[in-house]
Amino acid sequence: MVDPIPYINLSWLVPAFPLLGFLVTGLANKHLKHNLAGIIASVMVVLSFAVSVSLFFILRSSGQEAVTVTLFNWIAIGGMNIPFAFLIDHLSLTMMLIVTGVGALIHIYSIGYMHDDERVNSFFAQMNLFTFSMLLLVMGANYLVLFIGWEGVGLCSYLLIGFWFKNPAYNYAARKAFVINRIGDLGFILGIILIFFTFKSVTFSEVFSQAASFHAGSPVITLITILLLVGAIGKSAQIPLFTWLPDAMAGPTPVSALIHAATMVTAGIYMIARSSILYNLAPITLNIIILIGLATALIAALIGLKQNDIKKVLAYSTVSQLGYMFLALGLGAYSAGVFHVTTHAFFKALLFLGAGSVIHAMGGEQDIRKMGGLRKKMPLTYFTFLTATLAISGIPPFSGFFSKDLILSKAFEHNIILYILALGGALLTCFYMFRLLFLVFFGEKRLAGAHPHESPKVMTVPLLILSALSVFGGFLNIPSLFGGDSRFSTFLQSTVQTNASEELSHSTETGLILGSLLLLALIIVYAYRLFVSKAVVPAKDGESMPLFSKLIYNKFYFDEIYTAVFEKPFGFLSDFFYHKIENTVLDPAVDSIGQVTEHAGTLLRRLQKGNMSFYLFAMVAGILLFIIFILIV
Amino acid sequence: MKDITSAIQIIPLNNYIVLSMALFSIGLMGVLFRRNIIAILMCLELMFNSANLLLTAFSAYHSDPTGQVFVFFIMIVAAAEVAVGLSIVVMMKRNVESVDINLLNHLKW
Amino acid sequence: MIVLIILLIPFITGLLLLLVRNAVAVKRAALASSVVNFLLTFSLVFTVPVSGYTANWINFLGVEFALGYDGISLVMLLLTGLLFPFIIMTGMKRDQPQVSLLYALILFTQAALIGVFLAQNAFLFYVFWELTLIPLYFILLLWGGECRRNVTFKFFIYTLTGSLFLLFGIIFLYHLTPGMHTTDFSVFSKLNIPAGTQVWLFWVLFIAFAIKMPVFPFHTWQPSTYTIAPTQGVMILAGVMTKMGIYGALRFLFPIIPLGVVYWQNTVIILSLIGVIYASVIAFRQTNIIRLIAFSSMAHISLMVAAMFVLNYYALQGLLFQVLSHGVTIVALFYIVMLIEEKTATLQLPQMGGIKLQAPNMAILFLMVVLGSVALPLTAGFVGEFLIITGLFHQSIWFALFGGITMILGAIYMLYAYQRVMLGDKKPALGTITDLSRHDYFLLIPLITIIFGLGIYPQPVFDLVEASVKSMQDLLLPLAGSLPALPQ
Repeated sequence: MVDPIPYINLSWLVPAFPLLGFLVTGLANKHLKHNLAGIIASVMVVLSFAVSVSLFFILRSSGQEAVTVTLFNWIAIGGMNIPFAFLIDHLSLTMMLIVTGVGALIHIYSIGYMHDDERVNSFFAQMNLFTFSMLLLVMGANYLVLFIGWEGVGLCSYLLIGFWFKNPAYNYAARKAFVINRIGDLGFILGIILIFFTFKSVTFSEVFSQAASFHAGSPVITLITILLLVGAIGKSAQIPLFTWLPDAMAGPTPVSALIHAATMVTAGIYMIARSSILYNLAPITLNIIILIGLATALIAALIGLKQNDIKKVLAYSTVSQLGYMFLALGLGAYSAGVFHVTTHAFFKALLFLGAGSVIHAMGGEQDIRKMGGLRKKMPLTYFTFLTATLAISGIPPFSGFFSKDLILSKAFEHNIILYILALGGALLTCFYMFRLLFLVFFGEKRLAGAHPHESPKVMTVPLLILSALSVFGGFLNIPSLFGGDSRFSTFLQSTVQTNASEELSHSTETGLILGSLLLLALIIVYAYRLFVSKAVVPAKDGESMPLFSKLIYNKFYFDEIYTAVFEKPFGFLSDFFYHKIENTVLDPAVDSIGQVTEHAGTLLRRLQKGNMSFYLFAMVAGILLFIIFILIV
Repeated sequence: MKDITSAIQIIPLNNYIVLSMALFSIGLMGVLFRRNIIAILMCLELMFNSANLLLTAFSAYHSDPTGQVFVFFIMIVAAAEVAVGLSIVVMMKRNVESVDINLLNHLKW
Repeated sequence: MIVLIILLIPFITGLLLLLVRNAVAVKRAALASSVVNFLLTFSLVFTVPVSGYTANWINFLGVEFALGYDGISLVMLLLTGLLFPFIIMTGMKRDQPQVSLLYALILFTQAALIGVFLAQNAFLFYVFWELTLIPLYFILLLWGGECRRNVTFKFFIYTLTGSLFLLFGIIFLYHLTPGMHTTDFSVFSKLNIPAGTQVWLFWVLFIAFAIKMPVFPFHTWQPSTYTIAPTQGVMILAGVMTKMGIYGALRFLFPIIPLGVVYWQNTVIILSLIGVIYASVIAFRQTNIIRLIAFSSMAHISLMVAAMFVLNYYALQGLLFQVLSHGVTIVALFYIVMLIEEKTATLQLPQMGGIKLQAPNMAILFLMVVLGSVALPLTAGFVGEFLIITGLFHQSIWFALFGGITMILGAIYMLYAYQRVMLGDKKPALGTITDLSRHDYFLLIPLITIIFGLGIYPQPVFDLVEASVKSMQDLLLPLAGSLPALPQ
């Protein structure tokens, strides 16, 4: 058998291709012909996908679980030794395949989608830069390399959200995303530093091998996991740091698909799954994760019910699904979380690309109240969108069913209330997705003057591939109930430590599944009757509505509250510091020292005003004083 | 000469001291509070002469002529000084059309 | 001997420049001199053993003209050597009045700065320390902007007052030296001053450095001075002069009055962290872009000061790294600000906007520098700030948290500034704006390469200062008691 290590050592090629693509398309920006940048960029990502696939097979055939590839020493001072190294193991391979695979499809799709944009070359450069950063994130062999990718994807997200920089609102959204991410990043970097001080290393293998010597619930580990969690909350848009993700939809739709659905936002889940050994030692943190995940899943799903912008619905749906992934992590079912990351990457990317196709066809219109009847005009888009909707709603045998069912059954094992709430969220998901589907594709055409048309092949082919993945992706991890062997979970076993818990009995599980399917069917029928048979169109902006609807419609006023609590006071504080402290206290304090001297001079100057008789008087008075002094002393 | 000395000695020394102090004080006040520069010069002379008076009186009482010699010196110096002072007064009159001392206030910061 | 040459080159070139009339020749000569100077400074890195120079000077005072360097000075010298060619190039294609005088003054400043970093005794140090101020004063006064007289006067008096305290401290130390009095740093550091004396002596010495750096609340001269200063002047001020304060503190406080340092450690860290947050918060609402960068620079410097006083190996490494990184970044930032001012004829953020539409390349380079400034990984700023925050964390997690807030606040105000300058729709009032010229690329590309190069491969700098940082740590280790042991 051939030694696999020399081949795996070539894994730096995976991020190198997109980096090369970035440099070429970025530097030769002005000189590339139309479409060429897109082709170069796509080819680069496809190449790195190919390398990832071959790495996958090489690693599997080698029988090794993890290989570290060190490129060079990045920081080596004193006791700190941080190499620039990649870790190739099952978890990172999974993520690499998702990033490059879905990424490649989205790149290809973008060739069609961004065809008419004048800055298409910059777009592809930034997309490639994103892919590069994301690969660093998932491939890094230590927390600091992970952090490079972590901040790198944040930067690319910033750039791409604000891609159409003429619009101030987009710029604001971009800045908001970056700043909120940075809040999380601060927690993350502090966590990394604490890891360093605790384990004297930030390399995954060394940290995790030493973690065994800590007992569960040790305060240091809890603090570390909480700090890392702050980072994950920011990046994966969980409560309370989720408000940036819906605004991030300002970017071009392929960006939303790649960054804000399939890959970057799942980085937090990846990071926690990667640190599963630490998290297993911190039950408190796991409970916090459950709470956050569940709250996010429900609140975002509720908000999704009332959104009218096609991308906003999908954005809240993403937030909600990320909440499910968090829930899975909190339950200790890390591989279930990563599995949902995988299937979610397929169907959510598909949904966004489908939405992009619709928006493209509608000439930039994003309001679902103005769409309708697109089923006949765009059959391919409709078909793919339908598969994705079925997948996200958790209808068997689509991929979402398997991943979501896994999470739900874990929740059931944990706590029945948890299960009911999670199931409620799933039902909400089903409702708002079918509402979207029916409003967009069914009924009558509601916008006069628009001439929807099917998108070109370069866009529909990726849709079809993703559609196939959404349909069949679930078969990667068929549970024992259906005679499968949970291959995906087993595959990750070597990297991701799952909290052992007893399996549900098959009869219970079957009961749960049937029950939830029944409810889902009811929801779909209800949605059909509401939006297709009765053809209800959501209220126009500004129309009055019941209190709770209004609350949901206004997204629970999260943005308004944050503006009032953080943004406004910050500006106020800035003004206060500048006008009241800097210019009224500190600077005058310094000036006043100068002024004392000046005033003293002004005072003494009065003695010298040239009045002869005063001089004479002073002279006499002085002599007198002098005499008196002599007499007394 | 002896008569003069004895004549001076008839009056007690204290009277001379008081007189010259009074003269000096009058002169000093005049210097301080008069604005007319000629009056100030006159007051200065008064102060000089009060000193002269005292010198003479002490000289007589102590039978020591040195004091009287000094008086002559002082009178000569005072005469010279008056010459300078009056010429300043004349210059002032020519320049500022006045003998008010408060007009001479350009000597300042 | 090399050190003497390094000191004399800018001084002599400066004198010669005064005789030259031709503007182009003056600038070229100045540039050539600074480049040669940099190469010589760079050669010091490979010079073993350390090159020094000593000559008799004022014998009855026991003061020698002694030059030398260690790892810390070398970082400062490299920074000075590296930045001055860029500072001189800044004026290359621009019309400036009284060219020969300007460049002579710039070179004199450089000579004085080099002198500060090379001086081996406190007397010489003080002479050069004050000497830096004089040419710079004239640069600000003769080529500055509005209200320059008042502002320059205040700057001058303020720093001079601080220096007076330093002088007092030096004289005090001088009288403590045994036998024939001397001002050698090596003798000063062996004085064993009683703890009570060190406690008050700390502020006497520190105040001069605190004003120069500046540390909150001694910073009020800085924003207005930066605003009126000509670009080259502000580059010198922000790029090198502030580091001179840091260098002075490292040279005077730590070896000579370590107990005083330990005693006031937390006070200074807290003051610095207040400065970090205070300056970052203020920067957010500034409308004048130079003032904004001035406050941002203050935030960065304050973080470095905090790093200096945690007396921690990682923090010191991070500090010295950040000295280089901040110097390069701030010079690049001010260069771009100057370009923006030239092209838009304003410094007011509300009047700018949409420049990226007309000058996309300038926008990209500006963004790269901004990213360096907000410490994005793979820029030099990140390596420095990461080590600094690591060091702060070792002292207290709260210090690390407050120090780390600069990551967030920095992103807030820098990106806000970037957005207001470059993004958005075009302001009609701005007229046509040309993109970068070739000369601008010559200047900016190397700077940006350094920013990213050091971020990707920082190791050489660490190795350079390793020995000095270790010796400083060995000195403080028994005192602070909280320093991490250094695994070999």
